[in-house]
This record gives sequence, C-alpha cells and structure tokens, in this order.
Amino acid sequence: MDNYLQQLEKKSIAMIREAKAQFKNPAVLWSTGKDSTATVWLCKKAFFGKVPFPVIHIDTSYKFPEIYEFRNKIAKEWNLNLIIAKNEKALEKGVSPEKGRLKCCTELKTEALKNLIKERKFDALILAIRRDEHGIRAKERYYSPRDENFRWNYKDQQAELWDLYVKPSEDFTHMRVHPILHWTELEVWQYVVQEKLPVNPLYFAKNGKRYRSLGCMPCTVPIPSTASTIDEIVQEIKTSKIPERAGRSQDKEKAYMMQKLRSLGYM
Amino acid sequence: MIILALDALDLNQVQKFNCKNLMQKEYGQTDLSDFNQLRTVALWASFLTGKNMEKEIPIKTQWEFKVSPEQTFLKFFKTYETTDVPAFSLKQQNHAEERKLLKGYFEDKATIEEYDVAIWRNHEENKKDFFKTVGKFDLVMGYFNLADAIGHLSFGITEKMAEVYNELDKMAEEIKNSDSFVLVISDHGMKAVGRYGDHSRNGFYSFNKKLGLNLPRITSFYSPIRRIAENEYS
Repeated sequence: MDNYLQQLEKKSIAMIREAKAQFKNPAVLWSTGKDSTATVWLCKKAFFGKVPFPVIHIDTSYKFPEIYEFRNKIAKEWNLNLIIAKNEKALEKGVSPEKGRLKCCTELKTEALKNLIKERKFDALILAIRRDEHGIRAKERYYSPRDENFRWNYKDQQAELWDLYVKPSEDFTHMRVHPILHWTELEVWQYVVQEKLPVNPLYFAKNGKRYRSLGCMPCTVPIPSTASTIDEIVQEIKTSKIPERAGRSQDKEKAYMMQKLRSLGYM
Repeated sequence: MIILALDALDLNQVQKFNCKNLMQKEYGQTDLSDFNQLRTVALWASFLTGKNMEKEIPIKTQWEFKVSPEQTFLKFFKTYETTDVPAFSLKQQNHAEERKLLKGYFEDKATIEEYDVAIWRNHEENKKDFFKTVGKFDLVMGYFNLADAIGHLSFGITEKMAEVYNELDKMAEEIKNSDSFVLVISDHGMKAVGRYGDHSRNGFYSFNKKLGLNLPRITSFYSPIRRIAENEYS
C-alpha cells in the first residue's frame, strides 16, 4: 500500500506523462520556489531522470540573487534544458514596480511568457499552482485552456471525471496543465523531505523572518518565523493561520483593483 | 415616501441571497448603458436630478460635489430629510475615513478587518439616523454603502456578502409595513474579480407598488417620484 505522498505523486506523474503524450510541444514553468521545483522533479521522475521538454524561468530581473544562484546550480545538476523568458524591451523602457505594480507584472511576467510561447510555439505549459494557495485557484481544473490573451473562463470549464483530462474541442492557444493542483502547501514540504529535494535558502528563517512564498524582491516581504529547517517549516505550517501568499503584495487581482478604485476616484 | 439608496446592490446577489424584502412588488435591473464610468457620486446626482450628470462631475472633486435641492426631485416634497446621500448630504468625515482605510489596505498600512469595522460602524450610525426620520417627513431618503464598501474588498467571500445582504434585507423588512411608497434603488451592481468586487452594470430597483417600468435608467425615476409627490403629498 502506497503512503499518501506516493499516491499524490502517482497522480501527478500520470498527468505529466499524459501531457507529454497529448501535446506536441510542452514545457514546464519553474520559478525555483518549492512547488515548481517539486514539479520539475516530478517531470524528471516521470521520464526516468531526464526532463524531456524545456524548463522555462521567467526572469523579471527583480528576483532575489538567491533565486538566480539556485536556478543556475540546479539547472546544471539536473541537466535541464533551461529557457529564460525576459521582456528586454519593457526593461529598456524602464518598466518597474515603482511605476505601477500591475503594469510591471503584466509586462515582465505575462508579456515575457506570451512572447516566448509565440516564438517557440509551445502548446502546453505545466504549472505548479495548487488549489489551496488562493481562492481563485481553487476553481482551476487540471487541464485549463487559455486563449492568446491568456484569458481563462472559469465559469465555462469541463468536468474532469474519473481522472480523464480531455482536450477541449474549441480553439485555444495553449493548455495549462496543473499536475500538483490537488496538493497542499504542507504536502509539498513533506514531499521535499521525502525526496530530499534542494530548497531555496530564502525559505529558511534569518533574524526572525523567512519567505514563505517567493516572488520579486520589491513585491515580496518575509513573514515572522523562526523556522530554520524543513522540519521546523512543516511544524510551523501545521499550526499557522496566516495565508501562504500573505507576503506577496504583487497579487494581480489586488493590483488591478487598486488601479480600478483609483480610476473611480476612491483613492 | 421612503427611498432606500443602496450602493452597489446587485440584482444577482439579491436573488442569490433570497432577499425577499428587497424584492418588492415590482423589481428588476436598471439600464446604465448611458454612463461611461459607473461612479457613485455621478450616478446618485443623476438619480436625484433626472439628468445624466457624469460630465459635470470631475473625478478628483466628486466627493465634495453637491447639487442644490432645486435641481432635484426633493423640491416637490413639502418636507424631506436625507441621510448621507452622495452629491447632497454626504457625511464627509465618515467617507474620508473609509477611503483612507481603503487606500491603507492597498498600501499595506491597514487590514481588511480594520476597514470592515469602520464600514459597519458608520453603517450602524446611518441606520440610526435614518430610522429616526422615517414617518416624520413626506420624503425620507437614506443612503447605505455597506454592499459597495464591503464588496470592494470581499465580494468573493460569500459569508461576508451574505451578512451584508441579510442586513440590507432586514432594513427593507423594517420599512415594509410603513404604509408609504417605498423605492429601493442602487447606483450600480457588483461583480467579482477574485476576492475583490468591481462595479457592474447589473443595478437594482424595486418598488412596493406596480410602476410598470422595464429596464429603467437611473434618471427615469425622477418623473414617477415627482408624480407621487404631486398626487400624494400635495
């Protein structure tokens, strides 16, 4: 009998293999955070040690130095076909968080990825989002089609019964595949322990603070914590009532709403 | 006559939370297609005057903007009292405090809880003021921004919105048997953007008699209110 983590892993691996079989040109997104590192690891395991498609890192140039260091080290050790998506044009134009967080996110993340998808003609992207991360992500499916503007119509999604992930018949530019959608934050950390996965040092507490969710430097704040080992992190999450993304101020909905309320004269 | 002016009361939500008292004899959606932006003050000024005031109200100074009684249907009533009505008798200090906390939330200086507490406190104050006026004037009009204010930060949280709609429905219940004409009207509706709420064109109106309106504009209420004033309160 498999333990619970093995069951989670099996389902995720089956989904990754399914995506590789169903799509001509898939890729996996890797932020170097715990979730996407676990997902890249699952891709590696699914194909016996070698990730058979590109691994995309979206580089906004505002990431923590630890992220770049970790990325380069692991990419080498795991022999990844790493592609870096960067919107150089926007950076040249001086797009930055100070000039508007929503614009910054849109230009440096969304547009960077859009350009790359167009250039490399990716038809499926494997992403490490989880339902328990955020209210809106709870509505996601394992297979989630996006149009060319990355729009997602969450009110019109197919049912995914008996673990059947069917490609929708309508036109879509690319499919998002979410193999760890059903995992929780705690389970990811338990899996990190079980598989002895490398962990970005930003997650461990330094001077009473640690990062619980990794984003860009200007828009991510550490949470108060004394957890300096993975076991301590696991213990902390078991008892914490603070949401995982509490330290992420570049939440797109929040930025959009701030802009909207400003335009309506509320602020 | 009683006018319950409820900011951002949305037809879909009224039905979703089964607000039986808000859904009076005639009820439905308002047509807001002649407005470019759904701005609170411009919409209420238009409701009061029967004219689309959008172009006349600058965004930056909108909260201080005021119409005179002569520009509004209030002039048709011998006696009237309003509570916290935008573009007319807005309680500037309360709303400035709310906007400060809202801004504070987006700048990580205030929490949603602090904001919610202020909104509910101001709501309770308005409710008290408003119910004191009911039955004492030919027209009383009370404005309540609970659905808008709570909705903007928490529209995606069903429990919170249920509490808001339940509260507003209870207010409608209290005035139900007042033997008066009762108009419930919103400036616009609200739709979810994740956990947040954004103004939608799904506005709401209801009346405790048959008016025979079909998708009325927010400016269309001026004439029927005038008729009621002239026929019933002259």
